[in-house]
Amino acid sequence: MSTDAAHKSASQGGNGGDEHFEPRILVFCCNWCSYAGADLAGVSRLQMPPYFRVIRTMCSARVDPEFIMRAFQKGADGVLVAGCHPADCHYIGGNYRTRRRMALMKVLLQQFGFDPDRLRLEWVSAGEGEKFQKTIIEFTNTIKELGVSPMKGGE
Amino acid sequence: MAASDKIGAVMVVGGGIAGMQASLDLADSGYKVYLVEKQASIGGTMAQLDKTFPTNDCAMCIMAPKLVATGRHHNIDLITNAEIAIVDGDAGNFTVTVKQHSFRVDPKKCTGCGSCAQKCPVEWTNEYDEGTKMRKAIYVRYPQAVPLVYSIDPERCIGCGICAEECKAKAVEYDQKDKVLEVKVGSIILTPGFDEFNARLKTEYGYGVYQNVVTSIEFERIMSATGPYFGTILRPSDGDIPAKVAFIQCVGSRDEHCGNEYCSSVCCMYAIKEAAIAKEHTSQVNPTIFFMDMRAFGKEFDEYYNRAQNEWGIKFVRSRIAAVTENPKTKNLILKYVANGEPKEEEFNMVVLSVGLRPPVDNETLSRVMKFRLNDDGFAQTGAFSPVETSRPGIYVAGAFSAPKDIPMTVAEASGAAAKAGSVISSARNTLITKKEYPKEMSVEGQDARIGVFVCHCGVNIGGVVKVPEVMEYAKTLPNVVYAEQNLYTCSQDAQERIKEKIKEHKLNRVVVASCTPRTHEPLFQNTIREAGLNAYLFEMANIRDQCSWIHMHEPKAATKKSKDLVRMAVAKSRLLEPLQNLTMKVNQSALVVGGGVAGMTAALEIAKQGYKVHLVEKEKELGGVAKKLYYLPSGDDPLAYVRRLDKEVTSNKNITVYTGAKIRLIDGYVGNFKTSLESGEEIEHGIVILAIGGQEYKPEGEYLYGKNKSVMTLLELKERLHKGDPLGKEYVFIQCVGSREKGHPNCSRVCCTGTMTAAIEIKKKDPKAKVYVLYRDIRTYGFREKYYKEAGNLGVTFIRFDDEVKPKVEEKGGKLEVKVMDEDTGKEIMLRPEYLVLASGTRPQPDAGTLAPMCKVPQTKEGFFLEAHMKLRPVDFATEGIYVAGLAHGPKFLDESIAQSLAAVARATTVLSKTELEAEGIVARIDEDLCDGCGICVPTCEYKALEVVAGKKDPKKKLVEVNVGLCKGCGACVGSCPAGALTQMGYRDSQITAMIDAALEGQMPAKKEVKQNEH
Amino acid sequence: MTEVVHHTIEDKKVLDAPSKEWEPKIIGFLCNWCSYAGADLCGVSRYQYPTNIRAVRVMCSTRISAHLVLDLFRAGADGVILGGCHLNDCHYITGNFHTEKRFRLMKELLKDAGIEPDRLRLEWVSASEGEKFSKVVTDFTEQVRKLGPSKVKKDAAVKAKVEAADGASETFRLKALVGKEYNLEKTGNVYGNRLEKSELEKLIDLAAKDEYERSLILVLSKEKPRSVKELGKIMDLPADKVLRHIVVLRQKNMISMDHPEGLTPTYRTIEIGGEQ
Repeated sequence: MSTDAAHKSASQGGNGGDEHFEPRILVFCCNWCSYAGADLAGVSRLQMPPYFRVIRTMCSARVDPEFIMRAFQKGADGVLVAGCHPADCHYIGGNYRTRRRMALMKVLLQQFGFDPDRLRLEWVSAGEGEKFQKTIIEFTNTIKELGVSPMKGGE
Repeated sequence: MAASDKIGAVMVVGGGIAGMQASLDLADSGYKVYLVEKQASIGGTMAQLDKTFPTNDCAMCIMAPKLVATGRHHNIDLITNAEIAIVDGDAGNFTVTVKQHSFRVDPKKCTGCGSCAQKCPVEWTNEYDEGTKMRKAIYVRYPQAVPLVYSIDPERCIGCGICAEECKAKAVEYDQKDKVLEVKVGSIILTPGFDEFNARLKTEYGYGVYQNVVTSIEFERIMSATGPYFGTILRPSDGDIPAKVAFIQCVGSRDEHCGNEYCSSVCCMYAIKEAAIAKEHTSQVNPTIFFMDMRAFGKEFDEYYNRAQNEWGIKFVRSRIAAVTENPKTKNLILKYVANGEPKEEEFNMVVLSVGLRPPVDNETLSRVMKFRLNDDGFAQTGAFSPVETSRPGIYVAGAFSAPKDIPMTVAEASGAAAKAGSVISSARNTLITKKEYPKEMSVEGQDARIGVFVCHCGVNIGGVVKVPEVMEYAKTLPNVVYAEQNLYTCSQDAQERIKEKIKEHKLNRVVVASCTPRTHEPLFQNTIREAGLNAYLFEMANIRDQCSWIHMHEPKAATKKSKDLVRMAVAKSRLLEPLQNLTMKVNQSALVVGGGVAGMTAALEIAKQGYKVHLVEKEKELGGVAKKLYYLPSGDDPLAYVRRLDKEVTSNKNITVYTGAKIRLIDGYVGNFKTSLESGEEIEHGIVILAIGGQEYKPEGEYLYGKNKSVMTLLELKERLHKGDPLGKEYVFIQCVGSREKGHPNCSRVCCTGTMTAAIEIKKKDPKAKVYVLYRDIRTYGFREKYYKEAGNLGVTFIRFDDEVKPKVEEKGGKLEVKVMDEDTGKEIMLRPEYLVLASGTRPQPDAGTLAPMCKVPQTKEGFFLEAHMKLRPVDFATEGIYVAGLAHGPKFLDESIAQSLAAVARATTVLSKTELEAEGIVARIDEDLCDGCGICVPTCEYKALEVVAGKKDPKKKLVEVNVGLCKGCGACVGSCPAGALTQMGYRDSQITAMIDAALEGQMPAKKEVKQNEH
Repeated sequence: MTEVVHHTIEDKKVLDAPSKEWEPKIIGFLCNWCSYAGADLCGVSRYQYPTNIRAVRVMCSTRISAHLVLDLFRAGADGVILGGCHLNDCHYITGNFHTEKRFRLMKELLKDAGIEPDRLRLEWVSASEGEKFSKVVTDFTEQVRKLGPSKVKKDAAVKAKVEAADGASETFRLKALVGKEYNLEKTGNVYGNRLEKSELEKLIDLAAKDEYERSLILVLSKEKPRSVKELGKIMDLPADKVLRHIVVLRQKNMISMDHPEGLTPTYRTIEIGGEQ
């Protein structure tokens, strides 16, 4: 499915799940690559579903596991962490750490009864507006399929 | 000239990566900079590239911070859309007349929102995308352009007036006139870059006739995510994915028919990169590269080449393509070539011409106006020992304008030229720069947050989708918000005045702006609130344009809702913001240069000329390093004489203290405050370190009878014998790549091919009858060095190519040498019986690099050379600030390249040395000493070595982690690693981020009321 | 306005009315001050003309947008005639000069869409030219009769093309260019220069062609995703040109690419997308 068509279906309720389910997705973007990539998506007017909210950190390595747990605890349906591609990190190797940390988080989430797909790590560079769009669309679809967070009575 | 006549300003001509680097270095070293650019925006060729070799970094990602830094620097004046008309005066005091073409848009009013271009009815092909996309008659060159000011293309504009009607900021000025500016500067740096070779001139390849034949720069745009096909590789004739793509090398290079005999130096590597990235973007693409010699001569380039062959599945065919023809039906292309002696024909879906670099079209105008010499090929003439100087004193050059070169060398030269341009006028340093004065900061301590929210319409960019008044009204309902308003453009000049007024009127102590992206606009607003007496860090932004109204254009309701959420999140964080001080550290304004070779001496002298003390430490008894053993340079210059001259200058300079036969025991400290002790017990205090410890020639003991037979010698040994006038032999064989490009030492040593040419030419000149054979794998005489390759060939030197799998065999029979080599081109074994066998052996790092590296906290490559902070854009820096590298210590290179690099190290060092104190970032990590138990888990998470376990101040038995704020870059990576929660990132405290998370998810959890967070 | 027109002349019914013997369906737009008055005079003077025309009164001929006319052709009209005041006699001073410009665009777009341009006519009829009105209408009706029924109803391809022409006529770019054309030529542009008529027309024709072709790509790719080559074949346009249009449409977020498993990507129109 094309990204735009996918966006459409994501906006209209995805392939499954509740028609009126407006998932709440939190996105952590690193300042140098992913946040810039998200900006470029905007400059290029790439359309995507409006259910995500971005929090900017200087480096994806700043995203503490506790932030993710808190987000789920407060009712986030999905959390996306976006950072520079492994070799591009503005802070040299920060994102390698992010990768290891996220793998661990997924295991933890599962133990708490969350589908690990509710957490996603993605590399988005400053030039990849389209990848940011694609990631948001795909992730929104995933979350729509997974439905409402178990914290709010789903799953 | 009296010192007082010198002008503390520099003009940089050309705003590509070189121009930006030179400008930043100078502006950070106390000089005013005027950056003049032909185009309406800076960025140059690098802005067009998709990725860069050999790291495959995204070009825009690594360049954008420099673009923004250049655009924002208050001591850099950008003069874009402009050209140099007249240059009067002399070094130290030039008067330059600059003609600036009209933008027909007021740069002060234009907010870069782009509404004008959306509505302009005139389309034209976009130059930035090499014609693969369209632009309007009012346009910016590319979306991330700096300055982000639209301009009207006078050629295309029909004067319909629509842009002026659309522009809510009233920035369009149709009657704006061209301007003539007169600028006084002390020196000038030329960085106008290059033009691509016009592929139409090579008619046999059908460029401009066959649709699927494109140039490499067009292909760069085709690959780019911001290019015409959004990063999918498609061919222009019908939009199909080209399954087979051929790259043809040396189009307009190494080709006397088109007048360019030189090698363009970069095409081999960019072709590999393009092939690899194309395949990565679109897996169905299978690239083949047709080449003559694979010139992967740079640092770690051969490893890249090897991976391309072995891992990425790129096919390499050694052959020059004779002609390309098209199948008119399929638009496929048929390549005719000779491989292994047989004529072949192969069909491809697309052909990429690796076009060479030529001087910019206006090279002659520049040379005439500025009165400096061009070389025979039309590039700026430089000298073997003065790589960044033009023939006119006070005018310097960097980048591809003096010879085709890659980005790292360009950046190094740019910094090098900055050092030179600065030292001419060092007496006038700090005379023309301005330091912004702000009113005294108001204390907000103990006060409740009083937040002011400013919501921007951005013309119709936000207001057309998001209900801005609704967002503003909503903001008023949020706790601690005491004032909210909406603006047509919050970034406009009058809005800044309003913000300041409102801060006073409503006693605001936090400001939130909901508009575009903080990446471009945060500094502007921070400046505004500082002018109103607030600390810059009491500011927060909500990005409701780039990340809301522009990406949810068809969902106004949802976009409005999201905007409110984003404002709520920003307000939540803003409530917890605290003033941060940029800490300052004293700087010891003197330098330590380690290594007394040409690189080290050059660096020491240049720093001394800038007016700072230098300690030059050399482990040998005398200065000079490896350059003393070169004896010959291909240019005919005498390296030994040059070394002696440098030596004399260094030892007689009052600012330089030379320590010979000295070894370093320890280097301690950090930027601005290093302390070094020598084995002799002497202690030196200094602010920066330049590592110029050099390299050495590999002694290939045991290889090819080296060390066993006296007639087998290395290249440097041969040169020494030639220089001493030892009797010449009648027959010589050179073997290339000894100890390079093989297991354990996979990379090229860069200098040996040219060194061999120099020696071979010298032999032939002395005895034209002498027979010289060069056994090689690829001849890598890049740039203008190609002419020595040609000269050697013309003098009768025979070149025999062997495969790395089948190395030549050397035996001694009856006291005579026998060399057997399998000639790859004919497939026949050739037997040679030379009198002398010369091994072009590789360059190796100095063994003491391994002891210096951990002392300085800097990394090394596998081979033991120092590894710079970034291969492309920070070629002489390390992640650890205040330490720089130059010369062979960084990797194999020519003398002129070493000189350029050590000048670069000086320029970078001067950005520190020129200041009495350094300002550290406000956003740094802090440690809570009571919570920290000194476990040290955080220490390895810091790439900048800013964390260290030390003994506690109160209780020396208790271990403690100390944050060196001078080194901390504020990434926050350490914070998450601390098991005790003792680390905090200022400006991004856990509580601040958590407040945003909570605000983002407000109302998500049903029913039970949330317990109010304790916010402090 | 379109709806008003449809309602006034009940065109849908008129145009769709089954009849054994084909009669040309012609819509006339007459300006209030000259042509409509001329038609009245024609009646008062009992000049006769065929019954095929359904006249719609507008205040000025310049009120008739290209979209209005193309939409009628899309609905199956066999002919459309515009009546206005003589040049320099316009009640609104320069209205009919603009009509003239717009008329040229309508003709261009009709041509592009494969509709005989003779199905559209512009005539200046003053309030005193009752007889002229009858002659014009008679002549035009005969002309349309000779051309036969519009191909729109029978030929889906033509219908798609007319839809595309209609889409093109609604783009801001063409509206802006044609809207400014008269002033650029007669009173001068923002730099105070008058533009050469032929150059301006060339520029507008090129723009119209571009916009029409892009619009047709969107119409065709609405039904199902199509490849560049397929579009080129249907549109009888070189594939590279189709690709260049697609590049522009993707930039404007009006069409999206489906990533192929093979080597040929296909494109589909984004219905929610497009410029604001």
